[in-house]
Amino acid sequence: MDFQVIYDRIRSIKAPGVIGCDEPREPNPEDKKDKGRFGDSFVLVEPERLPEFLECVRDDALLKFELMADLSATDPSKDDENLWINVQLLSLTHKHRLAVKCFLPKANPVMPTSAPVHRGAQWAERECGEMYGITFEGHPDPRNILLPEDWIGAPMRKDYEYPEEYHGISCK
Amino acid sequence: MGLLEKQFEENVLTTKVDWLLNWCRLSSIWPMTFGLACCAIEMMAVGCAHHDIDRFGAGAFRASPRQADLMIVAGTVNFKMAERIKRLYDQMPSPKYAIAMGACATGGGPYYKYGYTVVKGVDRVIPVDVYIAGCPPRPEALLEGLMKLQEKIQASSVIRKPLRTA
Repeated sequence: MDFQVIYDRIRSIKAPGVIGCDEPREPNPEDKKDKGRFGDSFVLVEPERLPEFLECVRDDALLKFELMADLSATDPSKDDENLWINVQLLSLTHKHRLAVKCFLPKANPVMPTSAPVHRGAQWAERECGEMYGITFEGHPDPRNILLPEDWIGAPMRKDYEYPEEYHGISCK
Repeated sequence: MGLLEKQFEENVLTTKVDWLLNWCRLSSIWPMTFGLACCAIEMMAVGCAHHDIDRFGAGAFRASPRQADLMIVAGTVNFKMAERIKRLYDQMPSPKYAIAMGACATGGGPYYKYGYTVVKGVDRVIPVDVYIAGCPPRPEALLEGLMKLQEKIQASSVIRKPLRTA
């Protein structure tokens, strides 16, 4: 099923939290500022409703996205006030893919966890949490996965400064 | 204090005994397996048949620090690993030596500018005797580093001067 068919199906089953969708477009030759958008088509979802959305598309018979291939985050730039959560879903029965995106405000980066819906999200959320400073409410095991336990700061944010020293070893 | 300091005048006997002890030490440096990253592959190549480290007497890689003389830090050192390196280095009995192999262990390597969890050189954690440059250094470079370490051991004095304490 290609993207428009999947999106129409999502709309028709009234999956919770859908805001809209976006497809890649070529740069507009008339307007210099419009550089177009490359990449995948994605469905934009509210962050608070993400687990319900994932559960809905997982259970529907025609969509059946049982596998969450990836959950990652992006900090697009220092001026942008949102973090992006990118989820890649894959259907093993129907062999189609879907990209889902959420815009999470940097001022309050809290959202519910998708771990009860897809077990694979547990470690992915631990990594997003420590690297971007996102809190996933209800996560069963929210400790650091790659960084040391007492590391301060969210390294993947664009405005991150390294600490002067850690446990007596100089960082610079 | 040296073992026989001030008991005999410095003479040909103590220098020869020193030479013998140093020769024994440098011909049987047993390293500890400490491959952390890509340099570990080059260290494995050195341990295998073509570039043979066993002909230097250093082929018996010990897994436990308590039985090893040399710690070849081969690879990138993170802050998490740095604590463990300090602990393992302290567990090695004297006389002990450390070689920093590769760019990451020498000075942070390619992660020098943006690596936030990389320790910029393992000499911020343990005292290093020989630094080997390269990313990764060729196996022959590691062998040359080992030979430099052997020259350093040859130049040390056990009987005539104080024992190395660290």
